[in-house]
Amino acid sequence: MIRIAAVGDIHMGPDTRGSLRPAFDTLPECADLLLLAGDLTRHGTVEEARVVADEIRGLGVPVVAVLGNHDHHDDRQDEVTAVLRDAGAEVLEGESTVVRAGDARVGVAGTKGFGGGFVGASAGEFGEPVMKEFVRLSRRCADGLRTALERLDEEGCDVRVALTHYSPVPETLAGEPLEIYPFLGSYLLAEAIDTAGADLAVHGHAHAGTEHGMTTGGVKVRNVAQPVIGRAFHVYHLPVRAHAGAGARTPTV
Amino acid sequence: MDTHDAARSTEYRVAHLQDRLASGELGELGVRAEVRGGAVLVTGTVPSAGCREDVLSTVREELAGLEVHCDLVVTETSSPDHAEELS
Repeated sequence: MIRIAAVGDIHMGPDTRGSLRPAFDTLPECADLLLLAGDLTRHGTVEEARVVADEIRGLGVPVVAVLGNHDHHDDRQDEVTAVLRDAGAEVLEGESTVVRAGDARVGVAGTKGFGGGFVGASAGEFGEPVMKEFVRLSRRCADGLRTALERLDEEGCDVRVALTHYSPVPETLAGEPLEIYPFLGSYLLAEAIDTAGADLAVHGHAHAGTEHGMTTGGVKVRNVAQPVIGRAFHVYHLPVRAHAGAGARTPTV
Repeated sequence: MDTHDAARSTEYRVAHLQDRLASGELGELGVRAEVRGGAVLVTGTVPSAGCREDVLSTVREELAGLEVHCDLVVTETSSPDHAEELS
């Protein structure tokens, strides 16, 4: 069994320094790794990133993160990434990493993702340049996620997790105004997850959403935005299955 | 509606409040303001008590003279008491 701890949208700043550390210090007892689903800062400043870095440094479990839209606000996303990496976190954007949990190999593929909406109500790559770029960015993120998940499959991971900030499905947005769904996620992420296969998808971003959802292909989705889970993190126990082989999705009954 | 009335419209003031909360120095996209009857309901979860005060003070400034009901809570930071078993 793999124990995955996850939280997103911790929105840290100098006035919340140290607030999550007491809970994070319990992680080695209850989890094999910690996933951070973006929006780790409020405005994406280096100062705020340093607060996050101090919160996760030397935790005793591997930390894997993606950035969120807030972490891009100050246009310092590369510096924010560097500060978090310096604290020992893996920060993924269209990339993957493999973490050992006992004898098992846990693959995490990550991207911030972007908006665009869901099937039947999604934006198209048409019209003004900024509109086309909006959809292209979402597509690039989804393509990066799919490629990263496929790479993990080739590497023969026992468990694969898709980590995003934006949501791959509308179910976990329930509670948010319908009108803003196109700014909260994209079906392209779910399509990437279902095409490449994954055992769990974790995201944040939707503070008023709900925790549980599922992709069309049957991959469980969890919205771990801190306001949604109401805790410092949630823990998910994933069974280790026999590896299904390249390109195949683990069949479910 | 003449231009004077439009500028004072509750709906536009609420929209400007949301815009200021999100794009201003607070960067707060997790707070929702809705017109409910003759009052404005402000809800959401914020990272700290200080953030809550900042949001409330912005709300008071933007919606001065309107009846406002605030239900802003500060994020919980405790450890979970159980894990979810995924089959």
